[in-house]
Amino acid sequence: MSSLQNSKLSRRTVLRGLGVSLALPWLEATSSVAKAAAVASSPTRMAFIFVPNGVVMNNWVPKTEGYGFELSPTLRPLAPVQDDLMVITGLTHDKGRANGDGAGDHARSASVFLTGSQPRKTDGELIRSGMSVDQVAAKAVGQRTRFSSLELGVDPGRMAGNCDSGYSCAYSSNISWSGESNPVGKEVNPKLVFERLFGGGKPSEVDKSQQQREALQKSVLDFIADDAKRLQSKLGRNDNRKLDEYMTGVREVERRIGTRTAKPADINVDYAIPDGIPGDYQDHIRMMCDLMVLAFQTDSTRIATMMFANAGDNKNYRKIGVAEGHHDLSHHGDNPEKLEKISQINLFHIQQLSYLLTKMKSIREGDRNLLDNSMVVYGSGLSDGNRHNHDNLPILLAGSGGGTIDSGRHVRYDLETPVCNLFMSMLDRVGVDTPFIGDSTGRLPGLSL
Amino acid sequence: MAVRTLTKYCYDCHTGDKAEGGVRVDFLATDGKLEDHVELVDKILLVLKEQQMPPADAEQPDGAERVQSIEWIEQRLRQFDCGSVSRPGRVTMRRLNRTEYNNTVRDLTGLDLKLANDFPSDDVGNGFDNIGDVLSLPPILMEKYLTAAKQIADEVMKSPDAAKKVFPRQANDPNNVDEVVEVARANASSFAQRAFRRPLDADETERLFNLMRLAWDANAKKEEIMQTLITAVLASPHFIYRVEEDDPQDFVDGVRPLNDFEMASRLSYFLWSSMPDDRLVELAKEGKLHTAEQLNAEVDRMLSDPKAKALVENFAGQWLQLRDLEALSPDPVKFAAFDATLRRSMRRETELLFTSILDENRSILELLSASYTYLDERLAKHYGIEGVSGNEFQKVDLMGKRRGVLMHGSILLLTSNPTRTSPVKRGKWVLENLLAEPPPPPPPNVPELGAAGETLGTLRQQMEQHRANPNCAVCHVKMDAVGFGLENFDAIGAWREADGREKIDPSGILPGGRTFNGPLDLVQILVEDKKVEFTRCLSLKMLTYALGRGLGVADRCTISSIVDNLAKDNYRFSTLIKSIVTSPPFTHQESGR
Repeated sequence: MSSLQNSKLSRRTVLRGLGVSLALPWLEATSSVAKAAAVASSPTRMAFIFVPNGVVMNNWVPKTEGYGFELSPTLRPLAPVQDDLMVITGLTHDKGRANGDGAGDHARSASVFLTGSQPRKTDGELIRSGMSVDQVAAKAVGQRTRFSSLELGVDPGRMAGNCDSGYSCAYSSNISWSGESNPVGKEVNPKLVFERLFGGGKPSEVDKSQQQREALQKSVLDFIADDAKRLQSKLGRNDNRKLDEYMTGVREVERRIGTRTAKPADINVDYAIPDGIPGDYQDHIRMMCDLMVLAFQTDSTRIATMMFANAGDNKNYRKIGVAEGHHDLSHHGDNPEKLEKISQINLFHIQQLSYLLTKMKSIREGDRNLLDNSMVVYGSGLSDGNRHNHDNLPILLAGSGGGTIDSGRHVRYDLETPVCNLFMSMLDRVGVDTPFIGDSTGRLPGLSL
Repeated sequence: MAVRTLTKYCYDCHTGDKAEGGVRVDFLATDGKLEDHVELVDKILLVLKEQQMPPADAEQPDGAERVQSIEWIEQRLRQFDCGSVSRPGRVTMRRLNRTEYNNTVRDLTGLDLKLANDFPSDDVGNGFDNIGDVLSLPPILMEKYLTAAKQIADEVMKSPDAAKKVFPRQANDPNNVDEVVEVARANASSFAQRAFRRPLDADETERLFNLMRLAWDANAKKEEIMQTLITAVLASPHFIYRVEEDDPQDFVDGVRPLNDFEMASRLSYFLWSSMPDDRLVELAKEGKLHTAEQLNAEVDRMLSDPKAKALVENFAGQWLQLRDLEALSPDPVKFAAFDATLRRSMRRETELLFTSILDENRSILELLSASYTYLDERLAKHYGIEGVSGNEFQKVDLMGKRRGVLMHGSILLLTSNPTRTSPVKRGKWVLENLLAEPPPPPPPNVPELGAAGETLGTLRQQMEQHRANPNCAVCHVKMDAVGFGLENFDAIGAWREADGREKIDPSGILPGGRTFNGPLDLVQILVEDKKVEFTRCLSLKMLTYALGRGLGVADRCTISSIVDNLAKDNYRFSTLIKSIVTSPPFTHQESGR
C-alpha cells in the first residue's frame, strides 16, 4: 500500500494533469508516487466502462482470431495497445433479455451490465437488480484503500419524464449496485471528483489540530449513527430499507477516517481548480479518465466504473459530423448511411478508450506498467442497437491483470456464454472468492494459456 | 371480445383456487366487485400493458386483443365503488432531493448556498424526482451530506444574520455559566426542532446537549461547539429524511391520520419544495392543521408566497418535461435560428403560462386552449408575431396563430429529433402527459423498418406504410394522428407550410372518427372531447408529485373525486390543489409494517 504522506505529487502537478492538452510527460514528474505504489507487490486494479446503444458489429469484430489478429475498423485506434488487449466475442447477458418483461432493453442493458441480474420492472416501487461485480470486489478488497471504489460518469441522471418503458431511470443511469436495491450514484463533475480524492485544502482546516478535529468528527458520526439506530424500530419495512442505506454510508465514512492512509497529497492551494464540467464531451470523458488513472496511480482506490453515456442516450456527435441522436440512429434499419454514422460514434468512443489505455500504459510500476497491473473491461449491454439483442456482445478486456492474462488476442467463445463468467475469472485475479455473480455458470476458460 | 381474449389466453393457468401464482383472472368477468381485488387488478393491468403476460412461450394475443382487454378492464374500473374502499396508501420515507435540500437550508439558515448542486443527481421514478422509493442514498451522498453540513455550519458562524436566525437566544450575562449553558441548550433544541420539522422529546434534547458537552470536554471553542451541533443536526436522518413514524399504537385498521407537524411538512414540500414556515409550525403547535377549512386557507396563503414558484419549476418542469430542454441541441445546420437564448425563452414561455393560470386561479383547461401566451421579442419573432420588443416577457394575444402548450416552442422542440420532427414522439407525448393514456411499449419482434426494402414518400406516407401492420396500427393510429396534426411546426417549433419539397398535410382522423384539419382544430377537439381525460391526467400527475409515490388502482377514487370537484368549479387551479391536500392519501398514512 502506498503512503502518500511523503509523496511529491503536488496539487499543482495533479491539476496540470487535468488540463486538456495532456501530451505533457506529467506522469514522469510524479514518478515517486508511482514508485511508492509499485513497492512490494503492485495491486491489481479493475475498471469497467459502459457505452450505450450497442455497436455496429460488422465493423467491430476482428476478422481473424488469436495472437496478431487484424484490428477491425472500429478498433483501429487501439493499435498502440493491441498487445495489451483481448477482444472477447460471443458473450451474452441473458438477464438483459425481456424474459417475459416486455420492452425496456436499454434500461436493462445498463442495469445488467455488471450485475448479470434481471432487473425488476418498476418505475418506482421496490427497485431491484443485483450486486455488481465491481461492488463485490469493493466489498472484499476495497478496505485496503481510502475509497473502496470510484463511480464515474459523464451524463447526469435524467431530469424528468421516464427513461425506458416502465423502468425507473435508476436502471438507465447506473451500472454499479452495492446491493440488489442500491444503485451507487455516479460523479460526473471532474472538479468534485478531484476534491473528493485529494481534498479541498481549506486553510481553516489546516491550522487546527488534527486530533481535535477527528474527535469532533467522530462524535458527530456517533450521534447520527445513534439517531439512525433509534429510528429503526419506529419505521415501516420500506423505510428501513432506506435507513439501511444511510447506515451503510455512515459506516463507510467512519472507515475512511479510521484508515491511516487517509492523507491527501501535499497541498498547494494557490491554483485554480478546473471550473466544473467541461462543455466539450471529449474533454469531459478524458478528464474523467485522467482522474481514474490518478486514483489508481495513487492507490486511492483499485476499483472504478465509468459510463461514457447513460443507457439509451440520444446525444448527437456533431463534432465528428453526426448530427442525429445516438439512440435514434441506433434504430438504423440496416440503412448504410446510418450504420456508417453509428460506426463513427463507436470509433469515437474507442478513441477515448485508447486515450485511457495508452495513458495507463505510460505509467511505470516496478517492472511493469499500470495497464499491466489492471483489468479494464469495456463494452455495451446491447449488441446491435436495432435488434436490441443481448447476445454476442461487444466486450474488450485490456491489461494483463498483473501478468495473469495472455492478452494480445481475439478470442471467440460459444454463444450464450455468460459475461458473468468473465467477471468470475477477474475476481479470481484480485483474490475475491464468491460462489457466483448474477447468472455466471463458471469461469471463462483460456484467459491465460 | 375482451372476455373472450382473457378466456382464451389467461384462463388456462389463472382460474380457480389453484390459479398460477395465486392470480385469478376469472373474477374479472364473473364477479362484479373489483373493489375486493385492487392489488390484483393493478397487477393484471401492469402485466398486460407491459406484455409480461402471457409468458413468452405461450400463445400471444395480437395487439388489438391486448389493447381491447386493457380498455375493458379500465372501463370496468370506472364503475368502481368508492364507498367500499378506504386505503390512503403508504408513502415510503422520502429523502430530501437536491432542490428540497437547497431550499430547506435556505429557509433554515437564511443562506442560499445551493450546496446540493454538487450532489449526485436524484433518480427519477413515476416521472418525478421526489419519489420515496426511488430516492436512494449511496455512500458518496452520505459523504456529501457530511461535507455540506460542515460547510453550512462554517458559513452560519461567519454570518451574524445567519447565526442569529439559527441561534436566536443570547445570555444576558456571558459570565453566568448556568445561564450560558441554559441558553445553549435552548438554542440547540430550537434549531433541531426547526431542522427536524417537529418538536423534540426530552431524550433527544438531552442527547444534543451531551454532544455539546463532548465537544466542550475536547477543549473546543464556543464556535466549534456550535459548529459540531449544526453539523450533527444537518447530517441526522431526521433532517435528511422526511420521517413519518410508524408506531403500531397510532393505527386503526392499518391507517392513521397524519399529525399536524407531518401535515405542515407535506404542505410545504408540496407547494414550496421546502420546510414549513413559522406560521405553519404555529398552526401545528396549536393543533389546527387538519380541518379542510384550515388546509384550504393555508393553500391560498402559500400559493401567494413567492416560494410557490417551486411548484412551477419542479412540478411543471417535470410534468411537461421542461427540464429536459437543457440537454437538447437541434442540428445547427438545419436550424441556424436556434441557440441557448431561444431555448431559455421557450422554457420561460411555458412556465409563465402555467404561473399565470395558477396565480390568477384560472381554468386548468387553459393550459391546452389559451388563446394568449407570454413572449419576449426573440420568441415572438420565432413565432412570426409582430409588436413585441425587448427581453421582457409580455402577455400576447395569439390572434388564432397558436393555442395552448401544445403549440409552445418548448413542447414542440422536446418532442422532436435533432434533425427533424417526430410525429410519433409528439403523439406519444400527448397521450402520456396530457391524457394519461400511455401507449403500451411496442410488441417484441417488431419487423425491422426498411429491412424489406426502402420505403419512399413523405414522412406521412412512410408512417402509413409502417402502420399497415395491424399490431402496430392499434396504437400508432392514435399517436400518429395527433403528431401529424402538429406537422406545421418544425423541430424547433417554427411555423412551416412545407417539409422540404412536400407540402404539409395537417389533417387527420382521430380514433372515434372525428376529423380535423390543422393544429387549431386538433386542440379544439382535445378541449371539447378530452376534457375529462386531461383533467384526470393532470390530477394523477400532481397527486403523484404531492405524495412522492406512484399511484395504484386504490387511488382511483381520490382521482375521481378531484376530477368531480374540478368540473363543479370551472376547473380552477386552486380547486385541484385543495382537493389534493384534503384527500385521504395526503392526510393519512397506511402502516408499512
